[in-house]
Amino acid sequence: MPHVPIIMPQLGESIAEATIVSFLVQPGDVVEADQDIIEVETNKANMNLVSLAHGRIAQFTVQLGESYPVGSSLGQIEVTKEEAARLGLDTAQLDKARSQSTPATTLSGNTPNTQEAHVQPTIRGLPVPAHAAGAGYMSPRLKARMHELGLHAADLAGLAGSGAAGRVTVEDFERYISNLEKQKLTPASSMRVAVADAMRRSWTRPLATVGMPVLMDRLLAHRKAQVVKPGPALYGLRALAIALSENSAPAGRLIGNNIVHPSAIDLGFGVEVEDGVLVPVIRNADQKKLADLVARYNHLIELARQRKLPLDATGGSIATVTNYGTFGLTLATPIPLPEQNLVLGMGAGRKVVRWDEANEKCVPVTESHLTLSFDHRVLDGGAAGRLLGRVADLLMHPEQL
Amino acid sequence: MVQSLVEPQSVADISSAPALYVKAYRAMLLARVLDDKFASLWRAGKIHGGVFLGRGQEALSAAIGVALREGDVFAPLIRDLAGRLAFNEPILDGVRTYLGSTLGPMRGRDGNVHRGRPGEGQLAMISHLGAMISVVNGVLFARRMKHITGMVGVATCGDGATSTGSFHEALNQAAVEKLPLVMVVADNQYAYSTPTAQQFACRSLVDRAVGYGIPGYEVDGTDLAACLRVVGDAIVRARAGQGPQLVVAHLLRLCGHGEHDDAYYIDPQLKSSALGVDCLKRAEDFLRQQSWADAGTLAQWRSEAVHQVEDAVATVQREPPPDPFTETWSVLATARLAEGNEVNARS
Amino acid sequence: MSITYLEAIRAAQARALADDPRVFIYGQDVGAFGGAFKATKGLAKEFPGRVLDAPISEDAMAGLAIGAAIEGLRPIIEMQFADFSTVAFNQIVNQAATLFWRTNVPCPITVRLPCGATSGSGPFHSQTMEAIYAHYPGIVVLTPATVEDAYSMLLEAVVIDDPVIFCEHKLLYYHLKAEALPTEALPVGKARIAREGRDLTVVTYSAMVHESLAAAEVLHSDGWEIEVVDLRSVKPLDTDTVMGSVARTGRLLCVGEAWPWGGVTSEVIARVTCEGYDLLDAPPQRLNAKDTPVPYHPNLWAAHRPTARSIVDAARKVLQY
Repeated sequence: MPHVPIIMPQLGESIAEATIVSFLVQPGDVVEADQDIIEVETNKANMNLVSLAHGRIAQFTVQLGESYPVGSSLGQIEVTKEEAARLGLDTAQLDKARSQSTPATTLSGNTPNTQEAHVQPTIRGLPVPAHAAGAGYMSPRLKARMHELGLHAADLAGLAGSGAAGRVTVEDFERYISNLEKQKLTPASSMRVAVADAMRRSWTRPLATVGMPVLMDRLLAHRKAQVVKPGPALYGLRALAIALSENSAPAGRLIGNNIVHPSAIDLGFGVEVEDGVLVPVIRNADQKKLADLVARYNHLIELARQRKLPLDATGGSIATVTNYGTFGLTLATPIPLPEQNLVLGMGAGRKVVRWDEANEKCVPVTESHLTLSFDHRVLDGGAAGRLLGRVADLLMHPEQL
Repeated sequence: MVQSLVEPQSVADISSAPALYVKAYRAMLLARVLDDKFASLWRAGKIHGGVFLGRGQEALSAAIGVALREGDVFAPLIRDLAGRLAFNEPILDGVRTYLGSTLGPMRGRDGNVHRGRPGEGQLAMISHLGAMISVVNGVLFARRMKHITGMVGVATCGDGATSTGSFHEALNQAAVEKLPLVMVVADNQYAYSTPTAQQFACRSLVDRAVGYGIPGYEVDGTDLAACLRVVGDAIVRARAGQGPQLVVAHLLRLCGHGEHDDAYYIDPQLKSSALGVDCLKRAEDFLRQQSWADAGTLAQWRSEAVHQVEDAVATVQREPPPDPFTETWSVLATARLAEGNEVNARS
Repeated sequence: MSITYLEAIRAAQARALADDPRVFIYGQDVGAFGGAFKATKGLAKEFPGRVLDAPISEDAMAGLAIGAAIEGLRPIIEMQFADFSTVAFNQIVNQAATLFWRTNVPCPITVRLPCGATSGSGPFHSQTMEAIYAHYPGIVVLTPATVEDAYSMLLEAVVIDDPVIFCEHKLLYYHLKAEALPTEALPVGKARIAREGRDLTVVTYSAMVHESLAAAEVLHSDGWEIEVVDLRSVKPLDTDTVMGSVARTGRLLCVGEAWPWGGVTSEVIARVTCEGYDLLDAPPQRLNAKDTPVPYHPNLWAAHRPTARSIVDAARKVLQY
């Protein structure tokens, strides 16, 4: 016959336990449903526990005078299968529940039911932006730490995040920084830091480069004929100045929904100095002939190398010419300064053999590559190519410069 | 349960108490003059917020004030200027509170009729008037715990506040605890614009006394002599340990709810009825009848009241208004618990 | 010897009555019967005339306490259940809370609110009301989570010169035990670090401190170290301790048994976000009861309130961010 447990009930608001005062029946006694069987005392009152079924008291498993928590088993009543079924007392379930009623780890664990209840947290999602991987998304704390240490998102490029959607957590960051500190560190020069800053800002734009070869023989011959020989970059600078004076639109900058047009053809040129590059500026480069610019150009190079460029020769230019040919490079994709849209690059000249259609023979010529890097938001390949073509054309007619 | 009073200490024969009558009359007069001044200051734009007058209720109010003694406690309703003045509220307190002077008891933090000196038995009402009654109970309860006897508390309210739960809870509480509470209800026929027919369905509010098991009395609120007698006797009985007393006075509010209210809704028949008599005028007639004052004396008293009021207003108008930059903005008496203050400093 | 949270409350009242003749207790059934929860058991006999039964008039109970406080006494009133204090709401928030500010007369009343849900208590015997009282200026709101705090903070409540809402949690009454009453205590207004950690700050109070500590233990076995801040008093709110903890962990979860709309958890998050935005490495989160009345049946009730289990779930979300 099934044994139904006698459970210490919840005897009032907030009652945790009760003390056994007396047994009102003895094991072996037959009891009716709702008959008083055990007298208990709570903090609030004395009261009787009742039998929940008709049956025979099988045993009491508790001691007089002892306290037992709500939900504990005090003994068993033996009932008929019919009685158990009638009352919905599934004894198998009851046994299982009893075996699971381990001591509550939390205060809420009063009954087996509450222990089993699964609660959906009321908190909702934690939004992570789609581009969270690495330092694409930075938490307020990460931003604050980066700012504190003078770091930029680019400095975390090598760091894979462990947070949601691969974001870099502060723990990732601190670990990364402390690992860096274990390696050899030297402070970057202020020139390096300035170049890095300029390049980072430039790199926020979609940059593209177009290139084409140009024959340099006539330019070289022209240069040879001069008393004070202009540098090749000055030829490029004059050619670009003339081309932009004919149509300055490609040098415009996109700010919001507007193109900001240049107000003067002020052009810079790259000068390599120790641990960096400086860009002296020639103002109104479209308004003076090449010959009239040579002295100024050479002077500015000298001043740049001494780091003594005057204020009026720095900043505010609309494009830059860089002669990477001096390093023996034939091709490069230089990056325009952040405030500019254009950089004209000039590669090293090389002797090549060229088929002369008119004379039906091979002739040696000097050829170098021109490149034009630009902000693709402002300029497309066609417009850039036309501008570069005009520059190349002018370089092949140096007398026009 | 309207009881007639035959008490040894009663002022049943008012003709034998001219000094008391004159004292009450002069409180009424001063209140009327000051109220009129408040109204004109409000119309001149000098008073912010509302102005609430006691016109028509001065007799009842003054009768309370003159019956109270030092050590008693009074929770007035909004039309109790006469009672406040008679119970020794400085005239400057009212003027300073209406004009927002920092030297007043409320320092610009609360205004108009919301003033008092709770430590001196003058409770500062909140707008929920029924809620003041149990506070009076609390003071009386505390006095009893401190074995102080022979003092009373008076709470007043209009017919409207008798409909609140607070009124019921507090009267029942006072009755259960047998506290020396005198509850004075000024049934002035309207709660703002709501007539009494929409406020209660019993014959008279005094019938409520039966339900609480306390004695109740009715009085003609336009008759200062009657008010002095009935209110005075109720206070005497409470003081003698006879438990809570309910007094219901019948009268008519002779003004709007506040000065912003033209009271067009007041029934003209009520105005011309006995309820509509101006208690101040009636008291003056009585003074002359009894030869306690002639026209010259009355004019002299009025002139003194006007002087007192004008002096007070002139004084307060020169006083500093509250300054948001020097205001402490601190709400707790326990300064160390102020947030962002000592708590933070301590950690 | 062991002492329960409820016995500590009784002991604190006994000591307050013994130490200060201005103290008295007023409330329904608090006299000879000793209170619905026996929080004043035996006190009426021990202190004749000072532990008094009130009619079922919460408004008048609070009003009487305010009047007595004006007279210089220090009343303790017991609301039989926090839920019933709504009847006294006007007296507490309009009368008691404004008195000192308006008149310079202090209002040292202590209102004991047996609050919080227990199994089977239903919508009107289960509420936690700290948020609604904390909303009003001029009230101190205490939410002790331990036997020691129940004792020391109730003693301090009686001494404080302002209205104090003392939120004692019914679930802790008999379940929570300590070896002895404390001899020293943190002052009101100072939060306590109930458990030290480094990965996540859980800010909580009252019974939810214990659920949060249990959750921290579960997460500990997964290698997470959870810091649990017990606010102790929700007003004043010890923002510094909370901020200091978030500075260590960078992550914040607030847990409260009250309803989610407004309240203590949102106040903590608002303060941390406004004043400590740069400390946060994850969006701060909060866990509250569901936005319905407290249900009667244990199955529904257990799912209505935050538990160690749901706190673990919520914490994991914040930890994995």
